[in-house]
Amino acid sequence: MLAAIAAMLIAFSIGSNDTSNAFGVSIGSGVLTFRRAILLLGIFVTFGALTQRKVMHTVGSLASLNTALIAIALFTSAFVIVFSNWRGFPVSSHQAIVGSLVGAGVAVGSAKLDLLSSIVISWIASPITALFIAILIYSALERILSKVPLFLAERVISMMLLFSGAVIAYNTGANELATALGPVVSSGHLNATIAALLGSASLFAGAVLLSGRVVETVGKGITPLDAFSGFSAQMAAGLTVFAFTLLGMPVSTTYCIIGSVAGVGMLKGLTSVRLHLIKKIMASWVITPAFSFTVCFLIGLLMGY
Amino acid sequence: MWLKRLFAGSREREVIKLFKEHLNSVKLSCEAFAKAIETDDKTLLNEVCELEKAGDAIRREIALKLYEGAFLPVMRGTLYKLAETVDEILDTLEDVAIDYVRLVSLDSDVRELCVKVANLNIKMSVNLMEAFEALGGKADPSDKTIKIRVREREVDAIKHEIYRKLIKKEVSNFWEGKILSDFIDNLVKVSDIIEDAADLIQILNVSLR
Repeated sequence: MLAAIAAMLIAFSIGSNDTSNAFGVSIGSGVLTFRRAILLLGIFVTFGALTQRKVMHTVGSLASLNTALIAIALFTSAFVIVFSNWRGFPVSSHQAIVGSLVGAGVAVGSAKLDLLSSIVISWIASPITALFIAILIYSALERILSKVPLFLAERVISMMLLFSGAVIAYNTGANELATALGPVVSSGHLNATIAALLGSASLFAGAVLLSGRVVETVGKGITPLDAFSGFSAQMAAGLTVFAFTLLGMPVSTTYCIIGSVAGVGMLKGLTSVRLHLIKKIMASWVITPAFSFTVCFLIGLLMGY
Repeated sequence: MWLKRLFAGSREREVIKLFKEHLNSVKLSCEAFAKAIETDDKTLLNEVCELEKAGDAIRREIALKLYEGAFLPVMRGTLYKLAETVDEILDTLEDVAIDYVRLVSLDSDVRELCVKVANLNIKMSVNLMEAFEALGGKADPSDKTIKIRVREREVDAIKHEIYRKLIKKEVSNFWEGKILSDFIDNLVKVSDIIEDAADLIQILNVSLR
């Protein structure tokens, strides 16, 4: 029961943190209002959580833990995510969860380190992939849209922004939420469908109540994005995460969207990317899994496993 | 409702329609003025004043639609500035019309040059409409805006010729001279503002590229 509550708390935290990934750019460029964005997020997250199970399975098999350790690992992750969100930084919920599960798993000697290394490689590969895809999408669209009349281009960009936001919202359910629910489902505490529905509801509540600040950071903070660049960055991140989801790898949409925003920024000249903010975020990427790992590892040891 | 707006772009279509009406008012106003000065029929100038009033209403409606959410925010500022500039053309045409009514006399050689300017203004207003329509079609607005720039230079050349003639003209009092000077200034200013509007269309055209 505690493990399920902790998973719902993480889902709530993902909602407060990741609305920005899906619709931050759409909100920033005025295509969607905040309320409408959250409604769309709720719909597509539920759809993603109900239709994809691979990531749930991968995370669930990362370590064999008992109920108490699963609860501790998930509560630690929730604390890290909520704290980072409170400070206004986009944080990877995957890193917090995987770091916590592996920390506890190492303490009890059940962590699957080969699986962990595949996940870590995915974490490194995914933002780089997103960066290159963003450059490709931007370059291709620049050529196509330069031949299209302005008013048509404006309509197309508005719709594409919405579409890419929906893809990311789907990924949030299929990958991000699945990561939080994986340990609870694999340990048999909750049925996968019920977990997906409850998780989506918690995520929606988090988005409604707490997502405002991070939407500002991602939508406008890293690089001042116009709608066209915003779409390229968002679509690249969406496609990347979707591809990794099909491979069953829990990768961070936050990582990918930052990689793709940086890609578009590079194409437009590095001066438009706020490098100090990127450095700050990268520091949190190292600290997040390290902190979660250490806390859960120590608690695992202290509990005498 | 918002999905309908997003996919059908009805609000955007309304704004485009309003812009076309606004630009058509400029063309009609230029034509009415040219006819009035050519035939020296000052009653035709009432139409210029009526079109100016209608233009104000159209500008207000465009502003409302834009702030209700038509078009991406990145374009809204320039679109509103375009509406204001088009309105300024109509305002200036009204000023020219009022100056013309107040004029004591206009020498035939100067009138001839003024008619040339008025006719160039008509052509420029047509080019401006075509440039705006090109934003929604296949044609390149640049072709039209270049024509506007070339015609504006022609107007400038005529302006200098008019001033050369006016300097030699005797006026009976200060006000006669002032009204004549204002009339010429405002008449040539119309083409300047049309050129400003064309520049805004050019900016809009690259705003999403």
